[in-house]
Amino acid sequence: MKKLLLVTLIGFSLTVYFGLTVFILPEQYMSHEKLISQPHFDVKISDRDISLGESFRLDIVTENKGEYGDIHILSTAFPDLTEVGSVVNIATYDFTQPPTNIVPGDEMIAKYSGGLEHMIAKYPSIEAMSRPIHPGSTYHLSQIITPERQGNFSIYVKSVNIPHTSDLSHHPQTGILDHQEEYVQVYSVNVNP
Amino acid sequence: MVVLSSKIKNSFLSRQSEYIFLVGCILVSFGILLVTVGGSWDITNHLLNKPDTFFSPPHALMYLGVTISLTGVIVSFLSWRLLQNLKNLYFLSLKNSLIGIALLSGAGPFDYIWHSNFGLDGLLSPPHLTLIAGMFFCAIGGMIGISRFLKINPVKNHLRYLIILAIMPVWLSGSGIISSLSLPFSNTDYFEFNPDPTFAFIAAALGFPFLISMSSLLIFRLSDFRFGMVSVLGGLFLLIYSSTAIIPNFALMDSIVFYSLNLIPFIIADVILFFNKTRKSLIFVGGLLGSVYYMVYYPYVMYTFNEILLGKLVSPSLIYFVYFEMIDDVLMFTVIPAIILGILAVFVSERASKKILGFNIS
Repeated sequence: MKKLLLVTLIGFSLTVYFGLTVFILPEQYMSHEKLISQPHFDVKISDRDISLGESFRLDIVTENKGEYGDIHILSTAFPDLTEVGSVVNIATYDFTQPPTNIVPGDEMIAKYSGGLEHMIAKYPSIEAMSRPIHPGSTYHLSQIITPERQGNFSIYVKSVNIPHTSDLSHHPQTGILDHQEEYVQVYSVNVNP
Repeated sequence: MVVLSSKIKNSFLSRQSEYIFLVGCILVSFGILLVTVGGSWDITNHLLNKPDTFFSPPHALMYLGVTISLTGVIVSFLSWRLLQNLKNLYFLSLKNSLIGIALLSGAGPFDYIWHSNFGLDGLLSPPHLTLIAGMFFCAIGGMIGISRFLKINPVKNHLRYLIILAIMPVWLSGSGIISSLSLPFSNTDYFEFNPDPTFAFIAAALGFPFLISMSSLLIFRLSDFRFGMVSVLGGLFLLIYSSTAIIPNFALMDSIVFYSLNLIPFIIADVILFFNKTRKSLIFVGGLLGSVYYMVYYPYVMYTFNEILLGKLVSPSLIYFVYFEMIDDVLMFTVIPAIILGILAVFVSERASKKILGFNIS
């Protein structure tokens, strides 16, 4: 009798365990909505009109307006330059990872593919990254830029969160496409002779 | 009279030295426990935060553990020299600890030089392999010393639980070896040390079931078949794994409920072995504990099987979506070999426990 009770109890416990861990809970967890993090940024440029040889300051504050995410990337690209050199200097930043320079010829992840598609960089850019990214968290990157040629000096700014689960995972969501075939916001400063 | 007095003095010294040797072994095992906890935390830290410096909290915990183990080995060595008739009994313990600590002490500077030259290394790298091998040897040394002490000395009831401290680091460092050989976390800018996916698949599917069953049955045998030991050991393992691999990842927090259920098979194993200690029961328990490896090694084991079964890019916050997507397939392909390896551990643990205790306990 005692043995039968024990066998029944063990059989029941094993059924509950395997039933929950292999069949019931996986279904439940799979039905959960994936977290969607949502990047957003504000850009401030100190001067829109400068003389050749002068500098201007580019201040960017990024924010995660959505849910928890793994990685938050802010990219500033310079389509008029062939190299960053001494033109762009990072003044301050509070991203968790130090900003990295991407030079023309570097292979980059493209089309928000998270690594499935790659393209070659055509112009230099600076990428700042924080990971992980909690809801409402903000980061800041400040750069001092001293253009070396007169004319229009353009800057492409974009922010991408990973995992890239929907269009909300990048900012801007419309506009022109950069060399990664990802949307960018374009800012420009007029450099006078 | 002088001879008698000298003999009594020597016997007293030897007895005290044996206790000090035990303290050394406890320090070795506790140190390795910290190293393994730090190691598991470090994997999570790399996955979530990608630290760009050698000096991080998990590394600090690991090297604190190494320091404690080093102290333990020194204490063990000094006290071992004063042991009279027991020198031979504890030599195997000391030998393993000395080999382990030599590897561990070398791994620290080796790791730092590696970081300085090649940036961040992956999970499997020469310095990390040295570290893990050192951890394993030290853990074995501590386990043998503690087990032999408890076997030959009449100790208070609560001291019997030291056997958990003896076996836990062996289980965790063994897990570290199998994780290094199976997780695809080892490619860097300089080296591609990721294991071959098929090899990794086999290593995980065979190694983890064996380790769970081996550790559980070893504690059962070394504790003189004490009820509750398997549950406490299993519960502690789950606690360590959940606090280093699940809780730090915000997106996995709600899967704690799923992970907690893994305590059930350990409790069942304990209950079965309490009522029935026959070989048939041991084989059933071995197979049962082997079969639950995919659940017990949640979440990171997913990365190994994903390489072959799905090939998805897995962001840390999406881990459980991929994990649960594969659960049926993984169990379908691996549950039979996992049960077999769990059963194999029954026989290996029997031989190992005799070797650890230095005599036949059956």
